[in-house]
Amino acid sequence: MSAYQPPASTGGAGSSSQANPLAMPTGVIDERARFVEYTCGDCDSAVSLKRGEPIRCRNCGHRVLYKQRTNRMVQFEAR
Amino acid sequence: MSQPSQEERRRRKLLTIGDERVANTASNDLPSLFPGEDMDFNLHEFKKNFNVQFHTSSAHDSTFSLTGLDTSLANAFRRICISEIPTVAIEDVYIMQNNGVMQDEVLAQRLGLIPLKGSPSGLRWLRWYIKPSPDDPDAFVTPPSDHNVVVMKLNVKCEWREGGLQLAAKGETDPDKLYKNHAVYAKHLKYVPTGKQEEMFKDGPIEAVHPDILITKMRPGQELDLMVHAMKGIGADHAKFSPVATASYRLLPTIDITSPILSAEAKKFARCFPKGVIALAPVTTEQSRKDPALKDHEGELHAVVSDPMRDTVSRECLRHDEFKNKVKLGRVRDHFIFSVESTGQWESDELFLESVRLLKVKAQRVRRGLGELMK
Amino acid sequence: MSEPASLHGTEILEIDPAVDRDRIRVLPGATETAASFQFDGEDHTLGNALRYVILKKCVYTLLPSPQVEFCGYSIPHPSEARMNIRIQTYDGVNVYDVLEKGLDDLVDMCDVVVEKFITARDEFKASQ
Repeated sequence: MSAYQPPASTGGAGSSSQANPLAMPTGVIDERARFVEYTCGDCDSAVSLKRGEPIRCRNCGHRVLYKQRTNRMVQFEAR
Repeated sequence: MSQPSQEERRRRKLLTIGDERVANTASNDLPSLFPGEDMDFNLHEFKKNFNVQFHTSSAHDSTFSLTGLDTSLANAFRRICISEIPTVAIEDVYIMQNNGVMQDEVLAQRLGLIPLKGSPSGLRWLRWYIKPSPDDPDAFVTPPSDHNVVVMKLNVKCEWREGGLQLAAKGETDPDKLYKNHAVYAKHLKYVPTGKQEEMFKDGPIEAVHPDILITKMRPGQELDLMVHAMKGIGADHAKFSPVATASYRLLPTIDITSPILSAEAKKFARCFPKGVIALAPVTTEQSRKDPALKDHEGELHAVVSDPMRDTVSRECLRHDEFKNKVKLGRVRDHFIFSVESTGQWESDELFLESVRLLKVKAQRVRRGLGELMK
Repeated sequence: MSEPASLHGTEILEIDPAVDRDRIRVLPGATETAASFQFDGEDHTLGNALRYVILKKCVYTLLPSPQVEFCGYSIPHPSEARMNIRIQTYDGVNVYDVLEKGLDDLVDMCDVVVEKFITARDEFKASQ
């Protein structure tokens, strides 16, 4: 049995660069990418990052960031 | 044709309440029970015997007595009040954003239970919305439209107040001083009239009956953005559609003091009942002359029944040996003291009227179907 | 959401006697003087009230005597919205007539209740 192979991720900071031609080498910022909003796990400030940017809060330097909930609509029955 | 005596009639009407049993509970005005007596249903007779007496009446709370009708009918009205009168309540919740601590499904359920109000004529004008059912895609459905769905929006964002952060740093913990919109109330639900609703709900827009129902709490950065569809439904389907907080009846209690209860005992007897049920009155000359048991007790206080309606029938008096053989408790079988408490969408007296109308509609429909069946 | 059967006919659709007819079944084994009926979408609300008015039927010969020997209703299963009513009458009385008369009486009673209730309420409100 072969060891578990993590799926090739396009957004990950390049762990499987040979396998995935789209993956970025560490520290290279993709200028065309969109900003994604995160929330700092320590100071609660908003952090917007692009693909490839170091995962770090600009305000306090904390390295844990939370992704925000999407604005996608979800339907529920009120019962 | 035999006629029962006045006394016999009264005996038949009373349920007797002993310390450990209730007897004579079943209806006994049926012709099969007393052969030879005329007990046929006769509308004229019903009209003569049936009576309504109001006790209290406010917009959302009424009590009244119905006398001279059978339990089956009174119970039908009560049941219809609870489960078959339509009201409008929130049914579908479309959540765009909710990053507060309350889960989406919990929030949706809470929203559903908020009682709504609006122009009565508008609410009557609203039709049923029939949801498409997943197991039967061909079933009859009514698409959501202005005449069957009420749209409301809730969009609240919690933020720091001016200088709130500094206050918090100093140790202030009162959320009112620190944050804006940290509590979401039913009043934040905003009605969005669609199509003809603009006109129909002109004089009474849809809104929560009680503006200060707390829906959820939030902290800065948290936001609630959702849309709801409210529609008509009945209590049989879900309790949120029930128009009453309670619709109930009780039978009028009776207290018969069979032999006099005097002075100190009378005081103790009165304490066995809620306030106002038993009064203490001096024995009059006439009473002492007429009743041998009251002879030589003129002027002494004795217990008299003053307001049996206030009795809760706790049967406390039957626990004391001295009263056991002096009092008979009962209830009047055909005297229903109704209490109808509305949740706010309907006037409480209208609720009862509607329940009678609905029973009539039910009977008429079955009658129509039967006529068709017999053709 | 299941649509309320009891209001369906009056509220959404035009009054359609065929729909009402399809909600009633005469159960097998019916005769002129004994029959069981099954109603869809009905419960104790109508069942008990109807049972009572049907039992009230009298016939006047020498003395007033009951027309109905037996009338009872049941809900065969609590999760099915069905109500059965059984009527057995004495000789010469038709069960269908008794049932029809019972429904008519119920309708009449409702009218009396509405009328008296409105009078009492208006008087009470005026006296406040």
